[in-house]
Amino acid sequence: MSAFFQVYREYLPEWWPRLLDAARVTAELSTLGFLLALLLAALLVAMARSRSPALRLASNAVVQFVRAVPLLALLLALYFGLPAFGLTLSGYWAGILGLGLQGAAYVAEVFRGGLDSVHRGQREAALAAGLTPRQVFTAVVLPQALRVMLPPLVNCYVSLLKDSSLCALIATDELMLAARAMSSEYFLPLHIFVLVGLFYFAIAFPLSMVSRLLGRRLSRGRRAMGTT
Amino acid sequence: MLDALPTIVLTLLEGAVTAAQVALGAALIAFTLGLLLALLNVFTALAVVRTAIGVYVEWMRNVPALAHLFILYFGLASIGVRFSPKGAAIVGLGLVGAAVLCDVFSAGMRALHVGQREAALACGLSPMQALRYIVLPQMLRLTLPAIGNYASQLIKDTSIASAIAAPEIMFYARNLVTSTFQTPLIYASAVVLYASIVFPVSWMFNRMERRLGVGR
Repeated sequence: MSAFFQVYREYLPEWWPRLLDAARVTAELSTLGFLLALLLAALLVAMARSRSPALRLASNAVVQFVRAVPLLALLLALYFGLPAFGLTLSGYWAGILGLGLQGAAYVAEVFRGGLDSVHRGQREAALAAGLTPRQVFTAVVLPQALRVMLPPLVNCYVSLLKDSSLCALIATDELMLAARAMSSEYFLPLHIFVLVGLFYFAIAFPLSMVSRLLGRRLSRGRRAMGTT
Repeated sequence: MLDALPTIVLTLLEGAVTAAQVALGAALIAFTLGLLLALLNVFTALAVVRTAIGVYVEWMRNVPALAHLFILYFGLASIGVRFSPKGAAIVGLGLVGAAVLCDVFSAGMRALHVGQREAALACGLSPMQALRYIVLPQMLRLTLPAIGNYASQLIKDTSIASAIAAPEIMFYARNLVTSTFQTPLIYASAVVLYASIVFPVSWMFNRMERRLGVGR
């Protein structure tokens, strides 16, 4: 057992800076992917709530389809398939696009659920009080919906962070690819993959806890509101 | 261009067989171990056990599945524990799934009113009988939507097994690309194939939910 840790004592100074660099790429991939997902999801939800049946159908079809397809298939299709149509993306940007598309389908569900959770009477009362539809949305509906959406949004980010590991398979220099390269260099796969697992854990676990705490606090507030 | 389609579809279907084996094997491990852990988690009085389960669940859920597969397949091989690619995929996805389902089942059992179990015990049922006839059936009904989500997620996650060279759909897709160069057609077929497996499964779960009146 102590021999196991001895290896870390010996090699950690060499591994640490390389993994830290790769962790930065992982953070970029998941954060940019998440921002793209928020944007696309807002578009999808706007389409789903529009008056045109065609837009509603399109929004639903995209969400259902993306949810039924593995991210890896999406990433490989974007990275290897798009060049046939004259659009060549680097692994980095194909990764962000793929994560954004995949995330959008899930974030759209969160947005929809959040907006649906605001009682209809809120909107009607605000309209009756003389607010414009835009004001109703930004000042009355959205703030209440955000409370409900926050915990699942954090979970979506954690999912994207973990999913960004698949970008290693389209040659993006993030944590997983760095770990693979190092494991064939040092022949210490167990040490390296456990260490890289700890890197992901160190980012994902605190966020998961935050999401859980937020969820508990918000549900407490809502229950209290319901009883008074 | 389309004359390669039959070959592509047949080859990918071969991969779908492996994907199905991986998914079913992993689901079996996930369900059994997940239920066992959830029961221990909810009914044990020992804080040590609960902490150990908590550590296991959080580690499994906050680290990418790809890292788990690499640890099992490459990592354990270096200390003499060798898995086949398919075996590592089944065990890896199964262990991750056990953590997911442990959370789902624990939440399900905690959501059931304690009175259910107490009433069953008061009626003279043994603790095992109370579990078997009162707690578990209601818990499974309650958690059916979450189990359905997990099932479709698992089918999609089998694609990750291609990273350790398990011969499933994405593995064959990449082989086909290097032999036929019909890249867009191959990946489009793979995507459609996954969708045509996942859609019926989630449809089946939706139907079961409606049958059992979940959420009513």
